[in-house]
Amino acid sequence: MTDTLKGLNQAQREAVLTTDRHLLVVAGPGTGKTLTIVRRIAHLIGRGIAPTDILAVTFTNRAAREMRERVSALLGNDARGVFIGTFHLLGLRILRDSGMEFSICSREDQTQVLQSVMGCTAKVAKDMAESISRVKNLVETASGETVGVMDAYQEALKKGGMCDFDDLIGLPADLIGEGRAAYGFSHIIVDEYQDISPGQYRLLRCLAADRARVCAVGDSDQAIYGFRGADLRNFLDFRRDFPDAAVVVLKENYRSTQMIVDAASGVIRNNRQRIEKELTAVGAIGRPVTLISVEDERTEAEFVVREIEARMGGTSHFRISGLADPVDFSESTYAFSDFAVLFRTNGQAKALRDTFSAWGIPCQVVGEKAPLRRKALIDDLKAQLSTFTPDLDVEGIIRRINPESDPSTAEHALLANLAAAYGGLPAKEALACIIDELSMLGTADAFDPRADAVALMTMHMAKGLEFRVVFMAGAEVGIVPFALGREDADIEEERRLFYVAMTRAKEELFVVHARKRFLYGRRLPGSPTPFLSEVPRELVRTSALPDNPKKKEGKQMGLFG
Amino acid sequence: MRFIADLHIHSSYSRATSRDMVPEGVWKWAQLKGITVVGTGDFTHPKWFAELEEKLEPTGHGLFLLKEALCRKDGVPRPCVGEVFFLLSSEISCIYKKNGRTRKIHCLIFMPDLIRAARLNLALSRIGNITSDGRPILGLDAKELLKMTLDIAPDAMFIPAHAWTPHFSIFGAASGFDAMEECFEELTPHIYAVETGLSSDPPMNWRLSALDHLSLISNSDAHSPAKMGREANLFETDISYDAITEGIRTKKGFLGTIEFFPEEGKYHYDGHRACGVSYAPPDTILHGYVCPMCGKRLTIGVAHRVEVLADREAGFRPPRALPYRCLIPLPEILGEALGTGAGSKAVHEEYVRLLSTLGNEFNILLDAPLPDIERVASPMIAEAIRRVRQGLVTIKPGYDGEYGRVKIFEERERREIKGQGSLL
Repeated sequence: MTDTLKGLNQAQREAVLTTDRHLLVVAGPGTGKTLTIVRRIAHLIGRGIAPTDILAVTFTNRAAREMRERVSALLGNDARGVFIGTFHLLGLRILRDSGMEFSICSREDQTQVLQSVMGCTAKVAKDMAESISRVKNLVETASGETVGVMDAYQEALKKGGMCDFDDLIGLPADLIGEGRAAYGFSHIIVDEYQDISPGQYRLLRCLAADRARVCAVGDSDQAIYGFRGADLRNFLDFRRDFPDAAVVVLKENYRSTQMIVDAASGVIRNNRQRIEKELTAVGAIGRPVTLISVEDERTEAEFVVREIEARMGGTSHFRISGLADPVDFSESTYAFSDFAVLFRTNGQAKALRDTFSAWGIPCQVVGEKAPLRRKALIDDLKAQLSTFTPDLDVEGIIRRINPESDPSTAEHALLANLAAAYGGLPAKEALACIIDELSMLGTADAFDPRADAVALMTMHMAKGLEFRVVFMAGAEVGIVPFALGREDADIEEERRLFYVAMTRAKEELFVVHARKRFLYGRRLPGSPTPFLSEVPRELVRTSALPDNPKKKEGKQMGLFG
Repeated sequence: MRFIADLHIHSSYSRATSRDMVPEGVWKWAQLKGITVVGTGDFTHPKWFAELEEKLEPTGHGLFLLKEALCRKDGVPRPCVGEVFFLLSSEISCIYKKNGRTRKIHCLIFMPDLIRAARLNLALSRIGNITSDGRPILGLDAKELLKMTLDIAPDAMFIPAHAWTPHFSIFGAASGFDAMEECFEELTPHIYAVETGLSSDPPMNWRLSALDHLSLISNSDAHSPAKMGREANLFETDISYDAITEGIRTKKGFLGTIEFFPEEGKYHYDGHRACGVSYAPPDTILHGYVCPMCGKRLTIGVAHRVEVLADREAGFRPPRALPYRCLIPLPEILGEALGTGAGSKAVHEEYVRLLSTLGNEFNILLDAPLPDIERVASPMIAEAIRRVRQGLVTIKPGYDGEYGRVKIFEERERREIKGQGSLL
């Protein structure tokens, strides 16, 4: 029996051991929250709780996979039966277990259904889909146009034997609430509690149903999905909903340098809606945050490329001849995946990606790879289900679908990962589970860890990730906080987003802002984000790259071969 | 039959590469140089691949010919005309972290046909960006790349490129490995050769017993037509993909290489340019790696890296070692003979004149009888070629960013020979 408390600090221990009542774990960034949750599960099982009585809910499928891997590594078969997944996956399981047969209606399918129901353009249908989704997520009553459409829409879904993603949350809650499904756990752990939607909250209450101990893990300072309906007050008022709950605060940050932690804390302190906590860094002091002013979005991208190359000792002879000390055989320990460039909005990705591409630096824009191939894959797998034989394995399936399949592709790796996750189940069920998961993968799960490349992503996508060196691009008024095309930016949520971005960095943090920028057809004022003035002065090193006197277009080096 | 092969060049789609590196240009210059089999280079680049598909046709033996309609006779002097075969090749830059350190390895891949090259390209396109540069940079472990290559084509050839350059090679001091096995692990037996590169010659490589079973090949890595053939391989086999790769694998029919003087490289020796200090590796060690003039650390060169990894003394020649010749490209020889730069108009005119009368460059440098050369060229030029053939050149090795110099004549000698000429 492994020592479940080994290596845990005081607060983590408390979070693991407090199982006789509800518990709120306020976990700052980099404080080992996944580790704590994994050990908590181990502790519960060690105390004799049946694995099938334990539920661990994560925010993304990727997070669920990671947690499953870690739990499995720690407990092996002892943990068989613990449900680790997103609310959506859980809802799906509840519906299937209740005997419902249906397929999942994706956002594309939704739009199509609505188009036929409303007889309108795709754009109108898409907007309506979002409207309906909001209603369901926020557990509101529909108003205006939506009212008329919703019933027809739900009818159409029913006729087509489909459920949309939001139904995966709402319907199970209905079923359990009405007593038509008996589903419950004695211990529920919810990660990223600060970002759950009212719909998910309702499902949680149904599942907890007075018998479960709920352990909510999260950070009020990292609530960034308010725009999708998440209500921070659920987190702040936890004890109102779950009486006599204990509170444990995880304050020791193992991820970042002290300077980064303190800089981030300096910013987030200015929010009022939060649970007060002072993070301390366990690691080295590190270097000040670098704030750098550049001419425009192109020089911004070039700056990032140069900094990456400098740390990697150059990526081609062409560039090395430009470096100050090309024969400094300092031992570089970086890989491309150690770097990330974070931006507030997808419109910023192009300039970055184009520059990276021009300089040949491998990069991966996260959230970009369209799930088109995946849809084809899902359809193929569904076809497989109908011609099923018991001895089918994942390799067999893949080879059946695509004889030319390359074992090194991301899809293959994903399938293999899922196959391993459901390996214990009877093959037909495993296949069904795999299909379910594939159907629900969102853009947040598109991050392919095998491809070693610099990650380019929005700040939202960066949640839960960490990198040795982080570049925050476009830290300017209008972008951070994001105000383009919005009347009222929720300043506190924007500040939290900024905080999340800062706390992704382990060793170095660069905050870059351009003096001139064109974004979404608009020319921006080009002044640095006000959040930067909230970082204590002594933790920042400021620098500026002057304007280029005249632009040289792609000067080619001499033909020295 | 005997022929010369230069299997590593770059297309116009590679960074800092001449626009003339197109199939027609490569075809023309291969004849001028005397190269019979030339690597296509850059087959991973979609546009170059399309151009190869369009302009070349397969011989049926794993090699390609330029389509008849594109073969312009007027660019090539008659004595130089010869058949030119293309072999599908490409170079990939693998930059990744292994065993705690950043590694940067350039890898050469030869493919027997377009279909399998296309398969590899497809697989690579899923890993990263192969459209920006003829030599793509991928965040991919070289071992993984080897595995992918072999899975697609067991008869593909995978060769670590320019094995000793400090920054982008398998043994490079900055980001390489100390041994092949560290890089390729259990797949190491699939490596049959290394490319010695401009910065090393066979004798330097003979100092590592670990390389004894490998073939040491040499290619130009040319980014412009004039640089083609500055290093090359000599074969006596059928002109087919299988025979050539078999020759590389087993040394059967592989007769040796033509080399660039490694001392010309700007990081051959160790030293400190600012202080004018240049040391051979043993002296560097004696001086404790420190510059005697200013006390700062000396910049370490390629020879030193060989010294560090070598398990034999300099001068050792392994039993199966193949012969090699160190040459200087003809334009540079002419430059020195005429007292101008290698790119001057005078050199160009003389170059064309000599090729038009004596045949291709390799023929002039290696085979043409000296009396024939003397009849056509000036005494200075003839003497220069004679000296290069016999290795009678003085070499001042490069160090710390300063190019090395290979000289054929002393000033005094040049005046003497010139004087002789005017008397005849």
